[in-house]
This record gives sequence, C-alpha cells and structure tokens, in this order.
Amino acid sequence: MSHREEPMTPDPAKGTGPAETGQPTPVGPAGAGTAGSRPNGDNPAAVPGDAPATGPRPRATLDSEVRTIKDDVLRLGALVEVALERAGRALTDRDADLADRVRWDDAEVNDLQRRVSNAIAVTLATQQPMARDLRELLALYHAAAELERMGDYAVNIAKLAQQLASEPEIPMFSQIPLMERLCRSQLHAAMRALVDVSEADARAVCANDDELDRLYDAVYRSAMEVMQADPSRVPQATHLLFVAHHLERLGDRVTNIGEDVVYLATGQIEDLN
Amino acid sequence: MSIKLAPWIRKPNDAGDGAMTEQTVGVAPREKGAVNLSSSTSTDIGLEPVFELRDFSAYYGSFRAVRQISFSVERNQITAIIGPSGCGKSTLLRSFNRMNDLVPSARVSGEVLYHGVNLYDPGVDPVEVRRRIGMVFQKPNPFPKSIHDNVAFGPRVAGYKGDMKALVEESLRRAALWDEVRDKLNTPGTSLSGGQQQRLCIARAIAVEPDVILMDEPCSALDPIATLRIEELMRELRENYTIVIVTHNMQQAARVSDTTAFLTMGDDRAGYLVEMAPTEQLFTRPANPLTEEYITGRFG
Repeated sequence: MSHREEPMTPDPAKGTGPAETGQPTPVGPAGAGTAGSRPNGDNPAAVPGDAPATGPRPRATLDSEVRTIKDDVLRLGALVEVALERAGRALTDRDADLADRVRWDDAEVNDLQRRVSNAIAVTLATQQPMARDLRELLALYHAAAELERMGDYAVNIAKLAQQLASEPEIPMFSQIPLMERLCRSQLHAAMRALVDVSEADARAVCANDDELDRLYDAVYRSAMEVMQADPSRVPQATHLLFVAHHLERLGDRVTNIGEDVVYLATGQIEDLN
Repeated sequence: MSIKLAPWIRKPNDAGDGAMTEQTVGVAPREKGAVNLSSSTSTDIGLEPVFELRDFSAYYGSFRAVRQISFSVERNQITAIIGPSGCGKSTLLRSFNRMNDLVPSARVSGEVLYHGVNLYDPGVDPVEVRRRIGMVFQKPNPFPKSIHDNVAFGPRVAGYKGDMKALVEESLRRAALWDEVRDKLNTPGTSLSGGQQQRLCIARAIAVEPDVILMDEPCSALDPIATLRIEELMRELRENYTIVIVTHNMQQAARVSDTTAFLTMGDDRAGYLVEMAPTEQLFTRPANPLTEEYITGRFG
C-alpha cells in the first residue's frame, strides 16, 4: 500500500548519503512531511457518500501535527547521524575536543526527543487517531526513543575516544571504522524507509544488521589476540572492544526502527533481528 | 448455555410437543405451522451465532437501502455497526427485530436467521420477535408514566404474574439505575436526566427478558459522562445479553464493541458490508482501504 502522494525525490543539496561532514543531513527535511502525508488527501470521493466533498478537508489538523512530528523525528535521526560521525572521527583522530562536542550536543537530542514524545501524547489525546494514523504515531514515538538511546551510544563512544586519546596509542582495529560507517548508512536507510513507509527497505535494513554482528565478532577476536600478545595493551583493546560493542548495540536499535516501519506499513509486529 | 427466557411467557404447543424443553419458547401458535424461534432440540447454543444474515437486502419501495449483506452476530458479544450517514445502518439494525415491518413500503430479501430460524418466515410472529429482541432508541423515550410503570409495562402486557416489584427492581439494577431512583419510583420517568432516561429505557427493554438488545445511536443525545455510563452498562449487560449497536461515534464503537462491521454506500446508494472484524483489529489495522479511509477520517 503506497502512502505517497508524490514520490520523494532525493535532494542532492540536502544530501541523502551518510553524513560525511559535521552538518546535519536530514533524510527528509521540511518537505518530508509532505511526502509522508495521507493517501487520498485530495481524493475524498474515494468512498461514495451522501455528503458533497466540500468544506474543510477532514483531518487537516491531524495531518499537520503528524507532519511536524515526523519532521522532528527525522531531524532527530540527522542529529544522531552527525553525533555518530563525530564520535567516530574523534576516535580515529584522537580528538578529545570533538568528542567533547558530541557529549555537549547530546542535550539537543534529548530535548528534541522529549518534545516529540510530548507532541505525540498531545496528538493522541486531542485527535484520537485510528488505524494507520495511530500506528504512525506509535512508530514515531518508539523510533524517537530508539534514536535518543542511539545518541547515548554515540556519547559513550565519544567518552571512550577521550579515554583512548589519553592512553598510549595502539593500532585501530580496521573493523571499527567500517562498523561506524555501516551504522550510519543503516541509520540513514532506516530513516529513509520511515519517510517512504517502505516495508521492503525496512526489511533490508534489518537483514543488513548481520554484517555489523560479523564485524563485531571480528573486533572481539582481534581484541583478544592483542590482549594475549601484549598485556600492556589490555586497557586500550578493552576500550576499543567497548566501542565496537556500542556500535553493535546501536545497530540493533536501528533494526528496531526497521521493525517500526514494518508495523506502520503492515500493522504486524515482527521480530526482524 | 441456553437461551434465557422469561418464565411467564406462554409456551406454545405445550402438550404433545416432545421436542420442546422448558427453556424453549416459540411464537404464539396463532397459525398453523408456526415457527419456533428457538432451535427446539439444541440446549447448548454457545457456539451458534445469534444472528446469521444471508444475502440480506432491504428495500423501501423500489429503493434498495441495504444490499446483499451476510454476516453473523455472536452470542454475548457487542457488535457495532458503523458507517457514513445513509449507508443503511439503522435499516439493517431494524431488520433484526422486524421493526421495518411498520414501514408500509418496506420489504426484504435474503434471510435473517435468529438461532437458525429465519425471522421473515411467514409463521414468525413479529410481536414475539420484538419481545426477544428489544430495542433502545437514539432519543430516550420513556412513557409518560412513573418510573415503576415504565419498567412494569412490558411484563404486564405480556401477562407477567410474578412479583412485579422484584422484577422492576431487578431490571433497574441491571440497568444501573436502581440506586438513583429507588426512592422515587412513583415520579414520572420524564423527570429524570437524559442519561437516566436512557437507562430507564434499557431497564424497560430488559424487563421482558430479551435475548438481544438492539441500540440505535443510544448515546447521541447524551452528555459525555452519561455516554460513558451507558457504555460501561453495555459491557455489564453483555454478560447476559447479545448487543448490536449502531453508532456514528467511532470512538464509541472502538471502546465498547467486540466486533465491528463497517458499511458504506455503493454507487446505487445501497449500503453494503465492506469489512467486519474484531474491533481491536478493525481500528488498528483494517484490511480494506475503504475502512481505513473511514476510520481515519479521510472519508468525504
């Protein structure tokens, strides 16, 4: 079932790829709400009724509120994407200041998540949405909570980056930057699936999580080898293992958003990870 | 589980009809071949639907108001019928107790099976049908009589010989009105508030011990608190009765019913069944896009 009134065209100016810079790259900035608005919004005669199709469009207020909430959730996704990219860069560049910025900026993620939760509660109470509208708000509520938690993982990684920057340097496990990039592209894909309400894309995101698990296992084995070979490197290897662990957990949260999208699209609650 | 019947209702063909049990009651045997409204041999009807519509259509003159509807109403469940204005919800509801017989041009095709008996069979007595399948209307319509007499009226007409005081009290208790009126049973029913009047009408309906209660927009004239009281009352009544409710209020259907049927109108302006599903399913993940549009408010 398509929920698009018009196809969402990628906007190169806004960027649809994983954040490579420090700037937020919302998946569906501003206009995303339009893309996410209701089917048949301009087709009130889809069900024949006795009332003429005149007067205010039904549910315009609800639509507008959901659009705002959805935009905020996408912004939240963009903020987390940026935080993750910076945390990863702080780690590889041993940049404690950049890590500090990630820690400070998390307050914005938390504020936005609280705003989204509150807005959803208000819309549920005042608009009494049903069916797909209800599922959409529930999915957005959960996605926002998961994004907030992902922001915390980024902060944890930033803290570990600061810790590692203060310790003698050991070679980076090559899988960790891969994991960080994969996490971001997964997150981006999940947010894209949310914008498009694409069940297929959401399922693909969930399936891709296996790769993250595989990389995590590789980091684990490498860390064990390093620790056994040189006990003086145990602290650094442990911290890097923690980083990989946080990334692996973050990836699981991404798949939860994929499940939210599947629920939104189909009404079925599934475990896809 | 057996159909509960008022003990004072005369049993037809008492003598010589071995198939009749004490708990079964048929229509008054005024015609030869009168149809027994209860399935005469079944003592356990727990799994049977109370109503089964088969290809049912209702007409007013040449106009078909509802078209080829087939569905079942389960026992001790609240079934809600929702749909846009003019889709035939009330016509359908009134077909469940032959209320439309009172409209001169009304006719039907197909079957409305009530415990397996077609209510529109020639031998069926509509008066008995309406005793067993009671109705509560949109606007509370107590008789211009005392509270007591409002409730006692039906049993009296039916020839009830038992303890009328006890029956009135029991009916008012079941309608969750007793505590509010116990000290003023002789005051006019019309002196009560709207919500109380509606509960009085429910008490009046259940005083004749029906099997089914049909409700046609029972709360649309009531304030929100009175509405919620009636809804809670419906949940209680559901223990003993089967309820079919027509409502414009989707939230009400969602709150109160077990099963919801969505009707809409076709190009011929006849109402037809789009989807019937467990209420929790219909309001969270309806199968039909037309249902989705209606319940999310994108209709019209």
